[in-house]
Amino acid sequence: MSNTPSAGTQPTVAERVFDFVDERVGLKLLTAKMLNETVPGGSRWAYVFGSILLFIFIMQAVTGVLLMFYYVPTADHAYASTQYILHDVDYGWYLLSYHFWGSSAMVVCVFAHMSQVFLWGAYKKPRELIWVVGLALFALVMTFGFTGYLLPWDQRAYWATTVGVEIIDKVPLIGDFLARFLKGGATPGQMTLSRFFVIHVMVLPAALIGLAGLHLFLFRCAGPAGPFRGTPTELKAKTDYFFPRQIWKDMVGMAVVFACISVLAFWEPVVLLDEATPDPGDYHPEPEWYFLFIFQHLRLKMFSGQFGQFLASIALPGALGVMLLLLPFFDRNPERNIFKRPFALIGWVVLTASILLFTVSAIINRSYLD
Amino acid sequence: MQPQLKSKVRCADRDVGEVSKVIMDPLSHEVSHLVVSMNGAGERQVPMGAVQTVSEDLVQLRPSSSEILGLPPFKRDDYVTLHEVEVPGLERHIHVTPGEVLVPFPELERNVKRRTFFANLTHVVSLFIGLPLVFPVLKFMMKPMYAPLDNGWLKIGNVGKVKADNSGTQFEYKRKIKEAYMPEAEIDKNVWLVRATPAVLEKVYQGKDMEFLDTDGKAIWTNKKDMPYLAFSGKCPHLGCAYKWRKHKVLGQVFLCPCHLSIYDASGQVLDGPAPRPLDLLPIQVSASGDVQIIDMEFKAGTKSQTRIV
Repeated sequence: MSNTPSAGTQPTVAERVFDFVDERVGLKLLTAKMLNETVPGGSRWAYVFGSILLFIFIMQAVTGVLLMFYYVPTADHAYASTQYILHDVDYGWYLLSYHFWGSSAMVVCVFAHMSQVFLWGAYKKPRELIWVVGLALFALVMTFGFTGYLLPWDQRAYWATTVGVEIIDKVPLIGDFLARFLKGGATPGQMTLSRFFVIHVMVLPAALIGLAGLHLFLFRCAGPAGPFRGTPTELKAKTDYFFPRQIWKDMVGMAVVFACISVLAFWEPVVLLDEATPDPGDYHPEPEWYFLFIFQHLRLKMFSGQFGQFLASIALPGALGVMLLLLPFFDRNPERNIFKRPFALIGWVVLTASILLFTVSAIINRSYLD
Repeated sequence: MQPQLKSKVRCADRDVGEVSKVIMDPLSHEVSHLVVSMNGAGERQVPMGAVQTVSEDLVQLRPSSSEILGLPPFKRDDYVTLHEVEVPGLERHIHVTPGEVLVPFPELERNVKRRTFFANLTHVVSLFIGLPLVFPVLKFMMKPMYAPLDNGWLKIGNVGKVKADNSGTQFEYKRKIKEAYMPEAEIDKNVWLVRATPAVLEKVYQGKDMEFLDTDGKAIWTNKKDMPYLAFSGKCPHLGCAYKWRKHKVLGQVFLCPCHLSIYDASGQVLDGPAPRPLDLLPIQVSASGDVQIIDMEFKAGTKSQTRIV
């Protein structure tokens, strides 16, 4: 172990502290267990997204807590306090913009991570539970984005939320109750802001920490799935350990993501629109970019009318979600090579392409509305 | 040294078998007994007091083999392994793998009825604490969700502002809102007034007066079918955006919502776009001097049927 002193030298202070704790806690064994995880087939750049997501979450939590020192979650102060952070607090613009772009980075990395797991067939037995918990984490990330978006209380925030909650209202049977619960009433207002704030800074982080812990625990129980090509002997021959090779790649990934978010924060800092009013006026409500593809579906003729809107915004995404949930249970073919799983490959390509298509189309549509 | 698993066991007269398990006292962490596998004759539990010497691969016992064989057979059920029970600091005392070390299974715990009773008691206490909280917490969260509706009349302007028939005129007004503990606020709202010709009125009312009912079914107001002034709620029934009276390339002068391009004619009927129902009408009164009053209502967006929410 790197912590044991070499023969003949006095142990350093750090080594003595480590030994003190180790005697009481079994730290050496614990560290060994955490770092010496085998990565069959060797460490890969493709595997970095899980660790990157953890990194992004920690950064969001840190920047989020810092923002809370100045942000006030009331309808009469939310906008002003956010502007204060942006314009008057030193580096407030950077922290808020980092938090804002960090959330987009999280969505991108969630998609990359889910795609990697899907393409590598790493949701198959015995990893079904990891996949299921992962889907719950995905839902949490999207909910984080949806609830956080309201907090600045400008026109964009208010109206994206209003439209979003109206969509939730369309859920059969319980939709009205859910929408009123989220709004804290019949129309969006202070009650809505309070609820979204509590959900965003307490309920969701607690849930994420719990589920992410479970996700990691389950992952360690099952072990990394490794590459989808290669015989067991070949993979064993090329086994790396988590430390140092995979950690190295994870670190590079984290550094790259940090740099990207920082650059975006610098070049495209958060700029608020006018303060929210109950009348959208000239503003055209639009959700955050990662919801645009659903938003665009709602514009299609085939989804017009009450049932059509329900279909496009709830039924179809819901069906897709259920399909993803059941995926490891009806796909029992142990084959993990993506090139030998034509349905999986085509399905992923079609889904990714259509999400991209509808997102880009929504962005292009903006110029037509103005 | 401690006896090693699989080491040979020798009695005063001959070899009898090997150490198959070790029994540990959970309090002192000392090995209290050995379990000796007697070369096909079952297992015997031998107290450490009978051990004379212990070496790397041999345990020497004082008694004779017949005395050892005479001991009662080892009762495995009276014990659990260290996989099933947590013993802190074990590694300092025992030098065998946890699966081979047994700990006495407490006498009390073996009573299944007692375990079931305590399990049930735990459930009862949890319910006793949890159940009475469900209703208050639900009501706590639901407090603002179903507020009573306000049916007050608001003055919004004068019909002198309406210049032409079957044409939309926007009336902006302020509504006082008191939300929970927030200071009373004024919000800007708008309605679209249309002075309709009889043909258009027919399309709207279809020969029937329009009745507005409260949540308990009581009538609030009735719009008469021959009253030419129509007040449309300023919120598009699709998703609540504010719409405008605009000139359309093909359809002429229409109500057009910029959000998703719902288009309505002067009677509020849907001409195009995703709107699920026509524009929502509000209760309207026009005095002799032309002053217009409306009851400011809001309706759920995106549904075919009209449901009042404010």
